[in-house]
Amino acid sequence: MHQIDVKAGLLEPNDAIARENREFLTAHGIYTVDIMSAPGSGKTSLLEWMIPILAGRYRLAVVEGDIVGNADKERLDGFGVPIYQINTGAACHLDAHMVHPTLHRIVEAGTEVLLIENVGNLVCPAEFDLGEDDVIMLLSVTEGHDKPKKYPLMFRRAGLVAINKVDLLDRTNFDLPSAIASARDVHPGIAVLTTSCRTGEGIDDVVAWLEWRIAAKRAAVDAAPAGAGSST
Amino acid sequence: MHEAGIALNLIEAVEQRLEQHPGHVDAIHVRVGELAGVSTEALDFAFQCLSAGTPLAGARLVFEVIPLTMTCSACGGTNPVEDLVFRCPACGSENTRVTTGRELEVRTLELSEEPEVAHASN
Repeated sequence: MHQIDVKAGLLEPNDAIARENREFLTAHGIYTVDIMSAPGSGKTSLLEWMIPILAGRYRLAVVEGDIVGNADKERLDGFGVPIYQINTGAACHLDAHMVHPTLHRIVEAGTEVLLIENVGNLVCPAEFDLGEDDVIMLLSVTEGHDKPKKYPLMFRRAGLVAINKVDLLDRTNFDLPSAIASARDVHPGIAVLTTSCRTGEGIDDVVAWLEWRIAAKRAAVDAAPAGAGSST
Repeated sequence: MHEAGIALNLIEAVEQRLEQHPGHVDAIHVRVGELAGVSTEALDFAFQCLSAGTPLAGARLVFEVIPLTMTCSACGGTNPVEDLVFRCPACGSENTRVTTGRELEVRTLELSEEPEVAHASN
């Protein structure tokens, strides 16, 4: 009996395509955010608020991930922004391979900011890099303040958590300070905002965070040495 | 999650290595970090199912579970992560990065000689 080395990463098939996606998007000056949450937390509603604001400032595209149908795409169709629906068929998350074929059309459309709405799921989307620059997650107040310690991978992937449906706070036992402290235990430095897609509270702050991240990426790309990144 | 997909990646990675270094696989050593998001039981089960009827059938998966540790940019210390609190326990800084605990890789194979294959006599 003898031992031989292998040293093969088991997520490498997805991660290799994600790196390709990231290089391709960056080479074409596109900032990409992946939006994740449990089902029904308000991802599409947040986009309904943000798209009209952002569309006035950036050329937008949206990738909609759902298992079946295009219910979310139909909600967003009226804003004059290209919406690309991806149906996973059965998979509970988007992965880099699923998103890859759409990227050429997104580039051809002259996109500057790509918003990806992932499949509603607090577990699996966090495990699959798509090639995005940032992850935004939503946690609605009806889901409970104990979620950060139960779903550490997602809370650590997200640069921003929008605690949504705060208009319902007094109808729940959601302990907002506890949820924020818990999120910051699991991911010190995570940005936390409170939002409501009924009243519009906090939406401007989410937009401001996104614009800060877009500007940061553009500055980083401008500062990079000439020839950095490849166009495929 | 998605241990079935990961098991398929594992089988492919092992088969690729065997092209360069043929042999009968007795055991596959896999490193799984505490925060890799993978259940070793589910991965083992998926592997047993998916390797059935292939040359890898019967190979044992040997798991090394890697504990979760973080390194602090402020004080330089590396400490275990307790209760999923990622602030540095030594100096309280928020500037920490996971050092170990996110691994998911095939590390080594234990091989024996290819068994003699009986050839049909014509």
